[in-house]
Amino acid sequence: MSATSLFEAKGLVKRFGGLLATDHVDITVEPGEIHALIGPNGAGKSTLVNLISGLLPLDEGSLSLDGVELAALAPHQRVRAGLSRCFQVTSVFKSDTVLDNLLLAAQAHAGSSFRFLSRRAAEDVLMETALRLAETVGLADVLGRIAGTLPHGAQRKLDVALALAARPRLLLLDEPMAGMGPEDSLQMVALIEQLRAQTAILLIEHDMDAVFQLADRISVLVYGRVLTSGDASHIKGHPEVQAVYLGTEAHA
Amino acid sequence: MSSVATLPLPAGAGARPRSAASLLPWVVLAVLAAFPLIAPAFGLEYYIGFVRRLLIVMIAATSLNFILGYGGMVALGHAGFVGVGAYTVVAMVEAGVGSAWAAWGMAIVISAVFAAAIGAVSLRARGVYFLMITLAFAQMLYYLAVSLRTYGGDDGYGIYTPLSLGGLDGLHADIFYWVVLALAALVFAFSSRVAVSRFGHALMGIRDNETRMAAMGYPVYRIKLVAFTGAGAVAGLAGALLASHNNFVSPSLMHWTESATLLVMVAIGGMGKRWGGPLGVAIWLTLAEVLKLYTEYWHWPIGLMLILVVFFAPKGVATLFERKEKTQ
Repeated sequence: MSATSLFEAKGLVKRFGGLLATDHVDITVEPGEIHALIGPNGAGKSTLVNLISGLLPLDEGSLSLDGVELAALAPHQRVRAGLSRCFQVTSVFKSDTVLDNLLLAAQAHAGSSFRFLSRRAAEDVLMETALRLAETVGLADVLGRIAGTLPHGAQRKLDVALALAARPRLLLLDEPMAGMGPEDSLQMVALIEQLRAQTAILLIEHDMDAVFQLADRISVLVYGRVLTSGDASHIKGHPEVQAVYLGTEAHA
Repeated sequence: MSSVATLPLPAGAGARPRSAASLLPWVVLAVLAAFPLIAPAFGLEYYIGFVRRLLIVMIAATSLNFILGYGGMVALGHAGFVGVGAYTVVAMVEAGVGSAWAAWGMAIVISAVFAAAIGAVSLRARGVYFLMITLAFAQMLYYLAVSLRTYGGDDGYGIYTPLSLGGLDGLHADIFYWVVLALAALVFAFSSRVAVSRFGHALMGIRDNETRMAAMGYPVYRIKLVAFTGAGAVAGLAGALLASHNNFVSPSLMHWTESATLLVMVAIGGMGKRWGGPLGVAIWLTLAEVLKLYTEYWHWPIGLMLILVVFFAPKGVATLFERKEKTQ
C-alpha cells in the first residue's frame, strides 16, 4: 500500500540563510487518510505547508501527488493537480459577501477565467457549486453577509470552503482550529471528519484533542525534522515526544 | 463591489431591474452626442474641442482605472502608453499613411506590445516596487521620444495633413468629435462589461487577496498581464486620438507628471468605480479650464478640492452618486 501513496514528499529541505528550517523531511499521505503534523512553535510546520503548496520554493527534495511531480509547478498549477490548502491566518475576501467568495472559488475550477464579455452572474453552474459548498461547510444561511463581518469560526469555515472548491485529492489544513472556542472547534472537527470521504488531509494542528480524535497517523516535527511517526497511541507513549512537545506545551 | 449586504438569499442575482440608474449612460451619451449641434446656438463652439479632449482623456483614465481600481495595480507610467500610441501615429504619418483608422489601429497594436513587454517585467514586483518600475519604463519611453530627431525630438512633431477618416470625411465639420465619442462610449461599455465578467471578478479577487487567488488555482500573473496589456492598448488608442486632436505630438505627452495627473483624476473620480475615470477627468479638466480664466495659479484651488475629496469622498466622487441612486 505504501508503495503507492497518494502524496509523497521526499527529502524536503529549506534553508533561510544559516537556518535549516526544513531538514530532509519525508511525508506520505494515503488515499482517504488524515495525517496530522504536530510540533512545538518554530518546528517548521508552516514552512512545510508553504513548501508543499508552493508559496516557498524548495531548496531540495521532491513532491508528488498521484504520480504527478509537483516541485516544478507554480502554486496555482499545484491546485490544478489536486492539492488545495487553507491558511493559518484566515484568508478570505473580507469585503465581499460569502456568496461572492464562494462564486470566485467555484469559478477557478469551472472553465477559463479569460472570458471577458459574458456576465458571470448569469452562470447558474457557478451558483450551484457555490451553494453546494456553502451547504457542505454550514454557511448556507449567511450567504449575503459580508465575509469580514462573520464571526471567526464562520470565517474559518469559509476558508475551508474556498479550498474545497478545487475538489482536491489532498487538502492541507494549516491549524484550522487556531483561535477557536470549544464550540467552534467541535464543529470544525465534525467538518473535517466529514471531509475525509472526499479527500485525503494533511492536518497541521495544535489542538491535541482534535488531532488524537481525527488523525489516522501523526508525525511529530521538531527543529525541522520528523522525530517520529505513528498512530495516536504510539505518539502518546513516545518518551521523546513527551519531552520535546507535550512537555513544553504543558509549560507554555 | 457593493458594500451593502443583500440578505440572505440572493435569488436571481443575474437579473437586475432596469432602474433610472441604468438609463444614465444613455442620457449622458445623448447629451454628449447633441452637444456639437447645440453649442453654436449658445456661442460655445470653442468648447466642442474641449469636450473632445475630455473624451479622449476619459479613454485613458478608464483604462488606468481598470488596472488601478479593479486590478489594484498602482502604475505610474500610464502616460507612457499614451505616448507610444501618439508616436505610432507620428511614425505612420511619416511613413506616408493617410488613414486615421490604420494609424489608430496600429497605435493600439504597438502600445499593446509595449504594455505586454513592460508588464511582463514590472508585474513580477508589487506595491511601491511595481510603481517605481512602471515609472522607470515610462521615463525611458519619454527620453526615447526626446532623442528621436526624425520625429522632432524635444520640439515635437506637427501633423500638417490631418488623417483621413475614410468615408466619414466631409460628412460634418465635427465628425471627428462623434468618432471620438463613439470610441469613448465603446471603451466605457467594454470596461463596464469586463468588470462583471469572469475575468473582471478574477481581477478584483487578485486585488483583494492575491495569495488566496493563487491558492485557489488562479493564474494570477497571467491575469494581471492580460489586464495590463489591454489597458496599455486602450491608453495607446487615447494617445493616437490625442495626436489627431492636436495634430501635434511632443514628448511632454508622456512626462511622468501626466501619469501622475491621470492617477489623481482616477482617485478623484473613484478607483474601481464604473464612473470613476470619466468623472475624475470631467472634474479635473473642467475645473482647470474654468479656473484658468480667473487665475494663473489654478493649481492651488484644485489642490484644495483634492483635500475636500479626501475628506468628504475618500473613495472618489462616484461614491456620492452611488448613495444618491440607492436612496431614490
